Amino acid sequence: MMLRRLSSAFWFGAPFMVLLILWAVFIPYFEVNPRLFPHLSSVIQAGIEGIQDGTLIQHIGASLLRVAVGTVLALLIAIPLGIAMGVSPMISSFLTPLFRFFSVLAGIAWIPIATLWFGYGFGAITFVIFNAVFFIVTYNTLLGVSTIPLQVRNAAASLGAGRWAMLTEVLLPGALPNIVTGIRTGLGFAWRGLIAAEMIATNVGLGYMLFVARDFYRTEVIVLGMIVIGVLWLLLDRLVLAPIERATIERWGMVQRA
Amino acid sequence: MKQFLLKMWSHCVRLTTRWPSIASIVPFIPVVAAWWIVTELQIFPRAFLPGPAEVVRSFGALVYMGILPAYLQDSIVRLAVGAFWGVALGIPLGILVGLNQRARTALWPLLLFFQAIGDIAWLPILVIWFGYGLTTITVVIVYTVIFPVVLNTVLGVRSIPITLHRAAQSLGASRIRMLWEVVLPGALPNIVTGLRNGLGYGWRALIATEIIVGTSGIGFLMFDARRSGSVVEILLGMIILGILWYIVDSWILAPIERATGQRWGLVTR
Repeated sequence: MMLRRLSSAFWFGAPFMVLLILWAVFIPYFEVNPRLFPHLSSVIQAGIEGIQDGTLIQHIGASLLRVAVGTVLALLIAIPLGIAMGVSPMISSFLTPLFRFFSVLAGIAWIPIATLWFGYGFGAITFVIFNAVFFIVTYNTLLGVSTIPLQVRNAAASLGAGRWAMLTEVLLPGALPNIVTGIRTGLGFAWRGLIAAEMIATNVGLGYMLFVARDFYRTEVIVLGMIVIGVLWLLLDRLVLAPIERATIERWGMVQRA
Repeated sequence: MKQFLLKMWSHCVRLTTRWPSIASIVPFIPVVAAWWIVTELQIFPRAFLPGPAEVVRSFGALVYMGILPAYLQDSIVRLAVGAFWGVALGIPLGILVGLNQRARTALWPLLLFFQAIGDIAWLPILVIWFGYGLTTITVVIVYTVIFPVVLNTVLGVRSIPITLHRAAQSLGASRIRMLWEVVLPGALPNIVTGLRNGLGYGWRALIATEIIVGTSGIGFLMFDARRSGSVVEILLGMIILGILWYIVDSWILAPIERATGQRWGLVTR
């Protein structure tokens, strides 16, 4: 068992090792201009420097804080709202196109107006993340609640479930797979929106780090930033989203779509 | 008051049952009305939130000057070209990775990682490589579209029951016919789902790229308006983006998805 896990970890890591070796060998060999593509060693050095003088940590911290604040605020409002609207089929079918329209717009398209309303900085970026998550999660919650079969709700009601029991034992569990899907999509858009917004509208954060490095042709900082962005998203995906998905969708066995 | 509302509601229900396509427009009427009332009451300064009438007027002006049609065409052509290449490269790659064990061991982790980097993070280095221009925009969109297509194609290819492979083989299907008649149709519903997701991301990437790199396009229109502080044109851009994507998604992509999924009956993920 242990051996199998080790070997699967090895086979997962092997392609990356090959890629790194190719990078370390071919870039110096063909004498590629470091302004076009950096050497592996200079990227590593940029990473070490960034950690030592704290700037890299600062950028990562700022980006993660924005995502966390925006997402938590959005979820706190979106899930109750989605459930409240989804309970009545009439209201939910009326509002679905509206939320669909706004979830289509969510994220990057709001950057210009967000910077105008909130100025450049924390407010604008958090707003972009908030509405990327908010509309998609609300829409999916709405959808999730309205796909719960009416018989299930009637059965619970005729067995004497109160409003609270109905909420916690029927509506919330029934909609949870959809909610989780919504969170995942929303976060995907929010993460991209974050990087784009940071390029345009702030002075700290990963996107800003990349975009400033471009002005000075410091490709090693750009590539370092890209790797950090990739690793962070993979960690977020594997350590936060995948376990939630496993716990909800698999537990309630609702992987089929309606 | 209540009587009036009930009457309105009954009209609305009757109308939407006769023409179902109207149902998706009706909910926007109260929103636009609320927007109009808020701006008329001057709760927010005009410069921050202009009213619907001004947006419509600026729409007329921009169409009349020919800016809006030209920008719209630019954006749509970019997205179409990007989507085409994303699909043209993505499906073969997905089938290769899905069918070949060795290719999967070598490429799957890389695919996951490069997908995680995300399109927009590539912008700064692409600008260094290709400058501010069409190449940069196209590369970003192809990059965005290709990953969902590849990952979903792999999923689709892998979800074809092995019994189907064996049946086709024992009936004497050649490799090309296997590909054409078993693998591709079996994976098609997933491929279409992938394309839909990919276009959803590609669409946003296009806007971001046009904002940062752009020399034309709807994203550029919005950011140019932001620079000159004209909220009217920003709102106009957002509305156009929303309507356009709504049309593409619900009139083109969703029907294709439904058609393939229903025909081949393989909507299980």
